[in-house]
Amino acid sequence: MRIAILMPAYDEGERLSETLRDLEAQAAGGGHRITVFVVDDGSVPPIESAVVSNTDGVALRVVLARHPVNLGQGAAIETARRLALDPRWDDAFDAYVTMDSDGQHRAEDAVAVATAIVGGADVALGDRFAGESDVPASRRLLLRLARVFERWTTGLVLSDAHNGLRAFGRRAIVQMRLRQNRMAHATELTRRISMASREKPLRLVEVPVSVRYTKATLAKGQTAGGAVAILVDLFQGFLFGEPR
Amino acid sequence: MMIPEVTVAAVLLVGFLAALFVHDWTTRARNRRLLYVQLAVFVAGGLLILFPEIARRLAHLVGIGRGVDFVIYPTVIWLVRESLLSRRRRREEEERLTELVRAIAIERAQTVSRALR
Repeated sequence: MRIAILMPAYDEGERLSETLRDLEAQAAGGGHRITVFVVDDGSVPPIESAVVSNTDGVALRVVLARHPVNLGQGAAIETARRLALDPRWDDAFDAYVTMDSDGQHRAEDAVAVATAIVGGADVALGDRFAGESDVPASRRLLLRLARVFERWTTGLVLSDAHNGLRAFGRRAIVQMRLRQNRMAHATELTRRISMASREKPLRLVEVPVSVRYTKATLAKGQTAGGAVAILVDLFQGFLFGEPR
Repeated sequence: MMIPEVTVAAVLLVGFLAALFVHDWTTRARNRRLLYVQLAVFVAGGLLILFPEIARRLAHLVGIGRGVDFVIYPTVIWLVRESLLSRRRRREEEERLTELVRAIAIERAQTVSRALR
């Protein structure tokens, strides 16, 4: 498979290196060609090229882009998406995978969601509740609430709408333009999927994945206060126009 | 003939208006035209404060109970509108900044790994 990975990164070092090494091992082991589009979202100091270029094999290619200032995760994913569709690197990828850079997502799961696309799906969403993740209780509650909200606003019934590990086929990825710069992008994505399905339904599958929670990744993740910020962003998107 | 109602609040408010105007007059002397507009608004405000009877009569004329409400209602409407407009402007600015930053990032993007170059 030829896989494009869209990977936002903010103030990451060793964990990012490790994520890339894992991906390289997966690529080499499974005979895949993986291109990772790493977007440094204005880290201070910037993520050094050495951090992302330590992979040595022939199966993994890393493209690094830098936002001169911090914009947010949604904006970084959108930049990675445009890069992946840019003719300079466009490799007629079989699947486009969004993945975290902090080691929360496992490389084998990234290949698994991509495999679902090759198997005929347009969108494959990782489902951490079906996999072997040890989701903390508070996080579980927040994610359940997010799911109810999602179902209410988009009409899509998803088990784990806010999982960052997802894969898209070509037809789907070109329609996934993100305008929400910060964390509201996950809800925006769900809405895009639901909107794109109106013309011709996208085939959607959920793939069990594991999410590794550590102290450091939890500290960077979403909180209830962050959820309020997301609602404010969504409301502004609703007020001032969003999907076009 | 109306008599000015010189209460403590009136003195403080008019004093505040005057101080603001003096401050702007001395620090923002460049844009005189804006300052004259500001002076007109402040004088009108000062008159409304010193002669509440003006607002009271105008309020009764249009069917509002208190003179204060006659001044506050339009002010609130204007402020809400202003706040929505400025939020929208901020969002538009953010979108422009995003596109600029993104264009720079994409322009300078490079393959950094040794493989498949």
